[in-house]
Amino acid sequence: MSFRAIGLVMFGVLTLAVPARRPASADDVRVDISSGQGRRIRIHCEAMTSSSHGRGGPSSVDADEVLASDLDHSAVFTVSRSWVANEQPFDVQAFVGGKWNVSGSQVQLTGQVLDFPARRPILVRDYRGPANQWRALVHRFADDVVQQFTGELGVSETRIAFVARQGRDKELYVMDVDGAGITQLTHDHSIALSPAFSPEGSLLLFTTYRGGTGPQIDVVSSQGGKEYLVSGRKGNNTSASYAPDGRDIACTLSIDGNPEIYLLDARGGSPRRLTNNRAIDTSPAWSPTGREIAFTSDRSGSPQVYVMDRDGGNVRRLSYDVSYTDSPAWSPRGDRIAFVSRTGSGFDIYVCRADGSGARLVVGGASNENPRWSPDGRHLVFASNREGAYALYVTDLDDRPPRRLETGGKEAMSPAWSPRPAGTRAMTNSTP
Amino acid sequence: MQRLRPFVRLVTSLVPVVLAVALIGCAKKAVETPPEQTPAPPQQTTPPPAPVQTTPTPTPPSPPAFSAADLQPVFFDLDSSTLRDDARAALDADAKLLRENGSVHIVIEGHCDERGTVEYNQALGERRAQAAKDYLVQAGIPESRMQTISYGKERPFDVGHDEAAWAKNRRAHFALQ
Repeated sequence: MSFRAIGLVMFGVLTLAVPARRPASADDVRVDISSGQGRRIRIHCEAMTSSSHGRGGPSSVDADEVLASDLDHSAVFTVSRSWVANEQPFDVQAFVGGKWNVSGSQVQLTGQVLDFPARRPILVRDYRGPANQWRALVHRFADDVVQQFTGELGVSETRIAFVARQGRDKELYVMDVDGAGITQLTHDHSIALSPAFSPEGSLLLFTTYRGGTGPQIDVVSSQGGKEYLVSGRKGNNTSASYAPDGRDIACTLSIDGNPEIYLLDARGGSPRRLTNNRAIDTSPAWSPTGREIAFTSDRSGSPQVYVMDRDGGNVRRLSYDVSYTDSPAWSPRGDRIAFVSRTGSGFDIYVCRADGSGARLVVGGASNENPRWSPDGRHLVFASNREGAYALYVTDLDDRPPRRLETGGKEAMSPAWSPRPAGTRAMTNSTP
Repeated sequence: MQRLRPFVRLVTSLVPVVLAVALIGCAKKAVETPPEQTPAPPQQTTPPPAPVQTTPTPTPPSPPAFSAADLQPVFFDLDSSTLRDDARAALDADAKLLRENGSVHIVIEGHCDERGTVEYNQALGERRAQAAKDYLVQAGIPESRMQTISYGKERPFDVGHDEAAWAKNRRAHFALQ
């Protein structure tokens, strides 16, 4: 590596504790990729080296595979691996690798991306943290590699909340997006449903029957802890989600005798009714600006997705192209809405533009329910019985088949995708 | 506290006297209670737990206890909370039973088949329970005797995946409060 090349490389040090903002650099490589639709970039993962002066660091084999999976699941790259015999670098744009330095209980990952074929550094960055949190360092590097090539961080460091069946009950769980660190959050021996993360990811709203008098809305820390009642009004209290600014909660209540959509304040008080219709109105989904809410209503005779302003006005039906639609989810950039459409005995997942045009089937076969966007808008997580029991799957919205998420062997449904972790870093140069 | 002490002492010294006077006609032993005995601690004022009854009380032959299973469930069409004719007939019979058993309070559970989404089915189940309740109110059952709860598709009668199972799961049925 020449000194000139070193001079071009930006060294950044990220630690778990200290937030770091990385300035944009003129040397950043940018490849324009429209989310999920573009051709994947071929990238070759090389086994990382390690110098160990302590214990508790990663097995380099594990870490290599975590990095390769992160990149492969980013929807940006097609990955080949140096440690797999028949996967040779061919027509690749870059090499990805790095080295580990374990020192006592601390570990440092120096991740690097080299161009092809000259092996000039494109990105070299250090990540330090406790040795037992080495996976987080790998995820951060993977997300930075995604940013290097697309301008927007990846989502390897996010989490998925879901409910898992336990006999007749369903309990709330959370895990890393790659299935590691699975944690049971509720132990109510009741039915938990419909989790939704707070905008910064620290809390989960969900529906529970633990009170015994009907579905109520609770909140729990996404790290685990005590559950708190948010709304236990007479009748249904369901389908809750925080507004993007965290100040309001949209939910479905039937205090007036019929399921209607309400706004509550963040503590569950001062209900404001948004819909006023003899039909069912439910499943509110915020637009990322918080100015509009998509929801489901059967006011036309069968369930359909509608959009209204956040004050309940300006109601319009989303799409006329697809019959029996439900479970709207607004993409993080606000440009698309995912929803489900009923087939004979299940649901297909569609994505349309926010004005309802251009609806296209993205997941079909068996039943596919509760689609939720990743924070970068490149993926949808959903529940499906496509292989028998209900499990969680992710589609990258391209021609790859959906991939199943490991949920500790549990039957899983009702997924929610967390935002990127707050405080560990700033998001820079997001693609408009 | 310091100022109350003499008063407390006075009261405590009087208690044995009062007790002695009260008990004098009841039992001689009580009268013989030495006056220096400390007054009864407060917990003694609560009656001791009643002895466990070992012999079964001879109950007169009564009508069999009312059971929620006596109330007929109500079934619905797909995506519907409209009461069919068979549902009205079932609810008429239920109303009669509820009038005859005026002390019974019930929970009306609304349920759905698995073909809707979780959230929509919670709303639909609520409408089904409410439809049954509204009919019973019309039939003269006081609203105060009935609660509704929607389980959506979470508690199917039949876990099958065909129309026979679904038809059984689209229901409002009854439990006791």
